[in-house]
Amino acid sequence: MALAAGAMLGLTAFLPAAEAADSSLLFLAEDVPSGLDPDGPSIAIPTTQLGMVQLLEPLIAYADKASPNEDGVKMPDFSKPVGRLLESWSYDPGTLTWTLKLRHGVKSCAGNEFTADDLLYTYARALNVGGAVPNAWFLLNMASVKGFSTDVFSSDPEVAKKAKTLGDGVRKVDDYTVEVTQTEPNPLFLVNIAVTISQGVFDSKAMKEHATADDPWSYNYANNVNLPSFGPYCLESWTKNSEIRFKANPNYYRGKAPIEHVIIKKVPQGGNRISILRSGQAQLIQGMTPNQYDSIRKMPGLSVSGVYGNEGLFVVMNFKNPPFDNIKLRQAIAYAMPYDRVIQVGYGGQAKKWESVVPSTYPGFVAHEPPYTYDPEKAKQLLAEAGYPGGKGLEKYADQFKLTYVSEKETTLGPVVNQIRSALAAVGLPVTLDPIPQAQYGDRQIVKKDLAFAINDQEKPIGVDTGYAMQLFFVSKAAGGINNMVNYDNPKLDAMWAKARVEPDTAKRDEILAQMQNILMRDVVWLPVVEFKTQWAHSDKLKGFTWNPGNSLLLYDLHY
Amino acid sequence: MLTRFLLRRILTSAVQMFALTLAVFFLVRLLPADPVSRLVGMNASPEAYAQAQRSLGLDQPVFTQLLNYLGLGSKSGLLQGDLGVSWLTNTPVVQEIGMSLPITLELLTYSFLVTLIVAVPIGVMSAANPGKLVDKAVFIYGLFGGSQPEFWWGLLFVLIFFSTLGVAPAPLGMIDPLMLPPPRVTGFYTLDALIAGDFAAFADILHHLMLPVLTMVFVLSGPVIKMVRQSMIQAHASDFVLYGTAIGLRRGTLTNYALRAAIAPTLTLVGILYGVMLGGAVLVENVFALGGIGQYAVRSVLAFDYPSIQGIVLVITAISLLIYLALDILYALIDPRVVYS
Repeated sequence: MALAAGAMLGLTAFLPAAEAADSSLLFLAEDVPSGLDPDGPSIAIPTTQLGMVQLLEPLIAYADKASPNEDGVKMPDFSKPVGRLLESWSYDPGTLTWTLKLRHGVKSCAGNEFTADDLLYTYARALNVGGAVPNAWFLLNMASVKGFSTDVFSSDPEVAKKAKTLGDGVRKVDDYTVEVTQTEPNPLFLVNIAVTISQGVFDSKAMKEHATADDPWSYNYANNVNLPSFGPYCLESWTKNSEIRFKANPNYYRGKAPIEHVIIKKVPQGGNRISILRSGQAQLIQGMTPNQYDSIRKMPGLSVSGVYGNEGLFVVMNFKNPPFDNIKLRQAIAYAMPYDRVIQVGYGGQAKKWESVVPSTYPGFVAHEPPYTYDPEKAKQLLAEAGYPGGKGLEKYADQFKLTYVSEKETTLGPVVNQIRSALAAVGLPVTLDPIPQAQYGDRQIVKKDLAFAINDQEKPIGVDTGYAMQLFFVSKAAGGINNMVNYDNPKLDAMWAKARVEPDTAKRDEILAQMQNILMRDVVWLPVVEFKTQWAHSDKLKGFTWNPGNSLLLYDLHY
Repeated sequence: MLTRFLLRRILTSAVQMFALTLAVFFLVRLLPADPVSRLVGMNASPEAYAQAQRSLGLDQPVFTQLLNYLGLGSKSGLLQGDLGVSWLTNTPVVQEIGMSLPITLELLTYSFLVTLIVAVPIGVMSAANPGKLVDKAVFIYGLFGGSQPEFWWGLLFVLIFFSTLGVAPAPLGMIDPLMLPPPRVTGFYTLDALIAGDFAAFADILHHLMLPVLTMVFVLSGPVIKMVRQSMIQAHASDFVLYGTAIGLRRGTLTNYALRAAIAPTLTLVGILYGVMLGGAVLVENVFALGGIGQYAVRSVLAFDYPSIQGIVLVITAISLLIYLALDILYALIDPRVVYS
């Protein structure tokens, strides 16, 4: 009875969607942020990043390209970095020093003015490496910023303590000028400071107000309460595992956001997200499968906006697991791959063939020539040249041919792996399927590096640079490589990276990186299959979609 | 007698809980996965990985981890009532369970109340008229309703009552996102709304609970009706009812006597189902985005969040043990033949 009464009253209590239309946005996602700290334990989770980028302000970003893509989404021009919290910057190659001129008149949600102290606090906090994951330190270390060495992790407490003190690598010149010195020429500094989720700047006054004796860097506050910064939105309320609410920052230096209130609400069921979007109560959803986006495209009043950004699907073949140490066999698999079937069946046409090991939108991308195409006859010929005519002799490697993928992604990857299995079986490759949980997949990929044969659709270099991708994925560990999941070890490639890493001339650096891509594609170090669209479904009244390499939608750009 | 019975049960429960604590602690660590890799993602160096491992305490030997967890090797642990901090959110597990558990308890309590209100009369009617219309309808419902999983019914109800008829709210949790939830006092949304005197929120919360409760009732009613029916048929065939019939007692009076005898097994079933559904309601919580303990458990398992998994298992076990204890006490109240021994 009470429930029935509630139902009647609830109907009248519900706010009509139209009433909130111009000033608010209900955004349904698979989850809401589990934390907000850039060095927090949930930093690798996309829905956590989605929350962070609304609050954090980066030092630089990229100008939009002159015209949007075919879906009307604005794209960044990575050759044109523009200042956000920085008004300007300059570099002195003689002293390896960047002079950062900070923007005047920027105020945080708390009303505090942005100064050099905020930037120094942000760098000092990164150097403290006291969070669960030293994410902010990592990008500065990778950019060769002086003082950001691995000594901070030393088991000798004295060494670690000394290393955690911000030395002369980062200096305050005045309230609006900071100098940053590198230990070697490294173009990644400018690239990495554009990564908002790692290098966004804290409102140091607000952070210090919430520091405690046990937690002087306010990790608990940023993980559980708020992320004070100078971004376009302020946190209004946040219930983990349920919803997060933002209110436009009235002090935002680029002007107040067109949409005043935003609620990101967790709705785990994709089907329900679609139903609520169709009803008009929500205006934006994400995290759907390609087929679901395809069905939404046909619904009246709704649109799907997508972009070929930096998401791609590739095949992992581990050099430490025979027969994948055989280049001819790797090439045979590349020619047996049913690229078009994957695009059509797996992604409903919202994907395109991937022609290199870095995203095609990144500077320095070079398409491999001649491209690998679906050519079963050539695949058979290469298989024979590899010593396995018709697949004979591969029976003993049945365990290695288990195509591993993340079981939680069955809905998306299931159709893809089935297409691949059929096509490879047709040329004599004994492929079976091996879905495993995400945490197990991550462990085997990152730590054990023992995935013999796998499909991956979730790795992307967050630094927008081909060199960053090289160091992250392909250079050997001995040469400074970080996550070489296929155990590729090529001294020639390592030597080329050693040269490119400190090459100050962009044209020369790009040339070396192009050669490296050719080697990687020749050896099929990764087998890039498709680049697929990052997509959002929304009310057709909602405009202003802009893609950024973090793949988290910036709500500031949206308007009705 | 009752005190001794309770003391013995509490002692047994404590031993059970301790054994379970050890079992869960070691079992989660046997899982073939590494929680650290999920934490750091691919854009991280070996140093970052090692730092993350240290921050979770996973660089310590397992026995040291156990002592720390129990609170014997650290300032605070299980013995001090501290379930640890979630590796995913960095929030104390006690706090997270405190947020999610009341939602599940609220859903289950309303669902079981409505189930009893609906199922007991139907079961009684069905038993009183075997083979007649109500009995046949119960049989068909048992076959049809009980054989489908609850998430399927949930999605179907969303399609019918929200998408098509528009009489139910969107499956957006306990309260409309455009309304502010009542200030948190008990964690039970309906109670908190009443405490705050916010009747608009109270009505909206009931409205949002309508479909999840309907889904649960639809699934739970099947076994409860069957149990009531079966127990009532047995009670009707018992000597005391035959005697009552022979001396000419009215049918209503006889039904009351029979129901008293039949309600004990029904309550046992409801108690067991309540314990099972603490974790089992996850599918309904998921469909309606309620954020209960089941959803929290699934999220924790997928993230290999050891402190959360351990905390959830302990809390659910403790509640289940409490329910069984309460059932035993209720039994004695209902049935004077039961004695504590």
